[in-house]
Amino acid sequence: MPRTPSLDGIPLFELLSPDERDELAEIMSPATFGAGASIYEEGGPEETLYVVTSGTVEVHKRVLPGSRHQLATIQAPAVIGEMGLLTEPRAAASVTARTPVEAHGIARDQFLEMLDEDSLAACKVIYEIGRTLAERMARTNESIVGIISQLERRNARGDHDPDVFGDRLLDEWGF
Amino acid sequence: MTEEKLQGVRFFEFLTDEERSELMEGAKPAAFGPGDEIISEGAESSGLFVLMSGRVEVRKRLSGGRDRLLAAMDADREATVVGERGLLGRSGASATVRAASRVEAIKVPRETFRRMISDGRPAAFKLSYRIARTLAHRLTRLDEEIVEAIRDLERQGETDLEAFRDRLITEWTI
Repeated sequence: MPRTPSLDGIPLFELLSPDERDELAEIMSPATFGAGASIYEEGGPEETLYVVTSGTVEVHKRVLPGSRHQLATIQAPAVIGEMGLLTEPRAAASVTARTPVEAHGIARDQFLEMLDEDSLAACKVIYEIGRTLAERMARTNESIVGIISQLERRNARGDHDPDVFGDRLLDEWGF
Repeated sequence: MTEEKLQGVRFFEFLTDEERSELMEGAKPAAFGPGDEIISEGAESSGLFVLMSGRVEVRKRLSGGRDRLLAAMDADREATVVGERGLLGRSGASATVRAASRVEAIKVPRETFRRMISDGRPAAFKLSYRIARTLAHRLTRLDEEIVEAIRDLERQGETDLEAFRDRLITEWTI
């Protein structure tokens, strides 16, 4: 019988009762990645959510043709693939193990099924993910303010009209 | 009465009648006059507001003391929710929401919401799921917009935009 992954000490599972942890453990399976291994490939499937318990991963995206930009380095404990869970199961960026990585994999389909059935365990995990997204949105908002201010300064100098760009970004503002 | 009103609000469609009543137990009606601040930029969130009637403006301070209109919303046309991010996050409000006419709203106070979370109440967790999905969709779209903008700017081949473009990339939040 495979070892049940321990969910103790992982912030994401803090609110869960022992029974709820067991319920979630049923759809989790341990996963390991060697240094350099690909976890998600940009544009490829994102059918599994990983709770990274040790190691470091790197996030890259092909923003401009012929080059890959490093967007982030993420250290355990962390969750990756949560955007695929909440939106479309397609990776917006590539994620690679920088060091050996240990994780718990959660199948997206099964997790969504639990949510559909109003599982409190799954809802509690989503609450924690939601909290991290709320903070990410706060930071993104500030980045956008920076972008808009720059574009407006350009505009004031009589450069290209940035209104269209600014308005598109603003439409997506989350308060 | 508050509870009945919420039935028609699309944002709360995912809740059962029972869960809606559960959420509404701790909610209270709120009214604002023209010019009143419903949410103040930088201030800690006091809760989520379901705007039931009236018009509001959303404004953001920019550098140099300027102020920019981000959005104008008309709750007379359709009930609108504001302040949902603040319910989950720790950071202060990222913009000011000000009444442009008389506004009637239902407030779900943050303390009530947090207490429901500590008590393990499903309605609060389902509301979190709804908010998380909204945030995830917005973040995804923003990322896509920004990538697109970077590519557009690159095609124009303007060297003075390099620093700007790099900043976009380094400030990116995954």
